[in-house]
Amino acid sequence: MNFIRKAVKPAELLIIAGKTKRVTVKYPFEKPILSPEFRGSIEINHEKCIGCGACVNACPPNALEFVESSDKRTLRYNIGRCIFCWRCIDVCPVNAITGTRNFELATNDPLDLYSYIVHSKTKCTSCSKTGETVKMRKYIMQRSPVTENYINNCPDCRREKFINALSVRKVGFVAK
Amino acid sequence: MLMDRNHIIQEYISLAKSLNGNVTIDNDTLHIIIPKESLVEIADKLFNKYQCDFRTCIGVDERPVNGYFSMTYVFTDNRNSLYLLIKTYIDSLNPSTPSIMKVVPAVDWCEMEARDLLGIEFTDREQYKLVLPPGWPDNVYPLRKEVPYNYRPLLRGTSEKISPSTELGVIPIGPYHPALHEPEYFELYVEGERVIDVKYRGFHVHRGIEKLAETRMTYQQVNFLAERICGICGFEHSTCYALAVEKAAKLDVPERAQYIRSIILEVERIHSHLLWLGVAFHVVGYDAGFMHMWRIREKIMYLAELLTGSRKTYGINLIGGVRKDINEDKKQKTLETLRELEKEFRELIEIAINVPQVKKRLSGTGLLPKEDAVKFSVEGPVARASGVNKDARRDQPYAAYKYTSFKVPVYTEGDNMARALVRINEIFESISIIEQLLDKIPRGPIMLEDFDIPEGKIGVQVVEAPRGGDVHFVITGHGKPYRWRVRAPTYNNIPALKIMLKDQPLADAPLTIASIDPCFSCTDRILVIRENGKREWLRITTGV
Repeated sequence: MNFIRKAVKPAELLIIAGKTKRVTVKYPFEKPILSPEFRGSIEINHEKCIGCGACVNACPPNALEFVESSDKRTLRYNIGRCIFCWRCIDVCPVNAITGTRNFELATNDPLDLYSYIVHSKTKCTSCSKTGETVKMRKYIMQRSPVTENYINNCPDCRREKFINALSVRKVGFVAK
Repeated sequence: MLMDRNHIIQEYISLAKSLNGNVTIDNDTLHIIIPKESLVEIADKLFNKYQCDFRTCIGVDERPVNGYFSMTYVFTDNRNSLYLLIKTYIDSLNPSTPSIMKVVPAVDWCEMEARDLLGIEFTDREQYKLVLPPGWPDNVYPLRKEVPYNYRPLLRGTSEKISPSTELGVIPIGPYHPALHEPEYFELYVEGERVIDVKYRGFHVHRGIEKLAETRMTYQQVNFLAERICGICGFEHSTCYALAVEKAAKLDVPERAQYIRSIILEVERIHSHLLWLGVAFHVVGYDAGFMHMWRIREKIMYLAELLTGSRKTYGINLIGGVRKDINEDKKQKTLETLRELEKEFRELIEIAINVPQVKKRLSGTGLLPKEDAVKFSVEGPVARASGVNKDARRDQPYAAYKYTSFKVPVYTEGDNMARALVRINEIFESISIIEQLLDKIPRGPIMLEDFDIPEGKIGVQVVEAPRGGDVHFVITGHGKPYRWRVRAPTYNNIPALKIMLKDQPLADAPLTIASIDPCFSCTDRILVIRENGKREWLRITTGV
């Protein structure tokens, strides 16, 4: 009796198979099975982004990068490199980045993989070197009491200006 | 050797002192600095007398700091939860040190890796090129600090011939072969249907992960890189890295974060074992079992996505905690899924393991005796199926495992069936561990706020991945690890395949290779192709 039970045991799989039926979905025609927590591609809000570079520093695979030119700083998002970790969303100080549940990212044109946000850079009023983005400067001014006199300069000029001002106040003249 | 822990620590200290060593104790880690002349003796004592487990060895270029190279051998005392780091400094002008291979055979690959990547010569053993490709310029050692990470010599593609067939037949398996999922090459010498000898040629895939982490990434970015060492057990690697850095920096990570880590680790173990069982059934030709295993695995994949946001490469580990919390809703959903899974798995596995063909093919094939398991320091289910009772979750408790109770299944048969049974039992244990953890999970933050990581500290951690113990060794640096060494379990398990495949029917070879659940890309994480037209073979141990 036991022997027969053992012999037909493998056939019990048929019962299980009959009970479960088909578990796959006809994907392109039916909706895929996605959990509500799924992390997909990211979207960057052009208006909110200030070009501070927090996401660029945090991004593990360098999917977010700055492309620098003389007066423009471009934030480039390469979805082909993105690992969908959403670290950029964690670190963005202005909540400009939002996560989507979109994973259907295949394309015929590799250029579609890139998206850009172009920021114009500020110019130092003394030495005309370019510095941070215009929006970033605005953001700093809203948050910390920096005088217009200083903020319009690059860090080098700012330092020099400060030392000179100090020396005028203490010694009476600017040391050469 | 059951002894009081303090007593055994004193014994290790006096052993090191007697060999002119210098010992510092840091929690569960004994840092022993020893002159290189005493290296073999201390390794012999630890491995053979105290029966410590050999994990890996690490070559470090410390010239920018103190002008020396160093070799660190990681031993663990599993009974007393101790890590023993045996470190020796090596002169930088003529880097050479005695090899400990005579006393610890498992050191073979990692010594050769240090030779290729750092240029440290080992005496008293046969040396060969392990990881660098042929045509790689002499005197360029990639892991030395002066070599830039993007250094790329011009290499010419060359081909490698298989051995000429003598009276034995030669059957090549790989580098691309339906029975293997990754580029690895086995050459089986057969006499009729019986495998007489095996040659293994690995290290085809170079990813340069360690160099990358040491040069152009930050501490937090490396977590995501570590997760990509392996496609199946990635979370173990990122946890292991995070724990090693936290240990080095002495960070006190919130309990809740540690619980979540353990839960996700167990979720990953369940999915990996189910995957393996599916693959094993597929290899023996029982495809119905394969389909059903993967069907129930899908529930776990969905669960992982629900808990972390991604089916694989979860990306929730950071140094100092985790990024995603488990709320009440998810907890209920998890418990529900696990209950369902347990019921279905129990039903299915009982049927599958009773299929006569499966039973016959698994039993008695791919034998690995205990002595060889110890000699090669094999890891995980391979070790536990051969009667070696070790499991880092119990022996070196990390994350939240100290709050759980679970059995470590150990079988003494050492065949493929035993390896399958170990994994089957572990699935049930894992389900129970997750239930215990979810029941006890404390409230609180999941991420440590504000911490800094001091430079020049050493952290080493073993994390039990589904395939065995991952070892991560970290020396902290400025904003990124100064040295980060990874040892995946398959690194230790592959050499044992030589024993398992010998004197077995050829038809069982794919199953036996699959039975160690090999993860070749983890093993190769540092390596480049090596070919030079001439036949030059890699040796698993001496005498191949």
